[in-house]
Amino acid sequence: MSHAEHHIVPIKTLTAVILTLGMLTILTVAASQMDLGSFNVPVAMCIAGIKASLVIAIFMGLRYDNGTNALILAIGLVLAFVFLVFVLLDTNFRGDTSATQSGTIMETEQLAPAQTR
Amino acid sequence: MTSHSAEGHPAHLEHHFVSSEQQFDAAKMGMWLFLVTEILLFSGMFVTYTVFRSWHPEVFAHSAELLDWRMGGINTIVLLASSFTVALAVHFAQKDNMRLVIINLMVTLVFAFLFLVIKYFEYTGKFAHGVFPGAAFDPHGVAGGHNYADYNIPYAAQFFSIYFVMTGIHAFHVIVGIGVIAWITLRVSRGEFSSAYYTPVELTGLYWHLVDIIWIFLFPLLYLI
Repeated sequence: MSHAEHHIVPIKTLTAVILTLGMLTILTVAASQMDLGSFNVPVAMCIAGIKASLVIAIFMGLRYDNGTNALILAIGLVLAFVFLVFVLLDTNFRGDTSATQSGTIMETEQLAPAQTR
Repeated sequence: MTSHSAEGHPAHLEHHFVSSEQQFDAAKMGMWLFLVTEILLFSGMFVTYTVFRSWHPEVFAHSAELLDWRMGGINTIVLLASSFTVALAVHFAQKDNMRLVIINLMVTLVFAFLFLVIKYFEYTGKFAHGVFPGAAFDPHGVAGGHNYADYNIPYAAQFFSIYFVMTGIHAFHVIVGIGVIAWITLRVSRGEFSSAYYTPVELTGLYWHLVDIIWIFLFPLLYLI
């Protein structure tokens, strides 16, 4: 049985990651102070995604692991994504293809709150 | 640890595993499976946030201004720093420097407490002005340049209920993490681990990083946008 050594992440790499994370935090605050219009949310989520990826890849060492753990995480993220998309399809577009009345759930409730309960 | 059983196996190696390596990989994979269940737990709340935000984006953007981005930002830096010290603890465990493992875990505990203290001041500051989750939502008074009554608009209670539930369940994870890290620190100080066997340190680190990652998303969603 060959003994594979665990990958030891060098302190230099860990330090570079924490400094990058700090700068990205400042960047996301700075970006939120500017009016980017409809880009405010995507920019904030992109920066958060980069930060999370750095933590996962280096701090949690996923890039040095065998691929099974990455596959498990990927499956989890896909399931969360499916969850999000299908709930949004329902809550924001329910009845669009077989509409007997126009409008989303929210609009219907605002127009006739008594009838929807 | 250098103690060996009669068959020449390391003491930490359970007999149903072929090698320490296999045992380590199995434990780590189990931890990743658990972390995925944690992601799915929080995904329910992230989906809730997304649905209600998509219905009332202007209410959410307005309500977020009442949360102090300085407090949230400092807490982000604090949690990131604690992730760094946990990563350092694992690094030194791999290098058999148990003294630095203990120091880094204890610094992590300090950061975790600091996070909760800042969160406590945020919560009590909001409660003092009637910002509660659910039906008790009744913002009033003036503080920090905000007239709280300006935030008593339709659907603002949704935002703050989501804020308290998400940060509350996250804070619960921080409290659990403090308990686990304290326990692991104690075990390290008892000399239970070495570079040949440090699996519990590694797995605790993975859990703590996930708590950090959840906050990385909560901070912009609740405080900034």
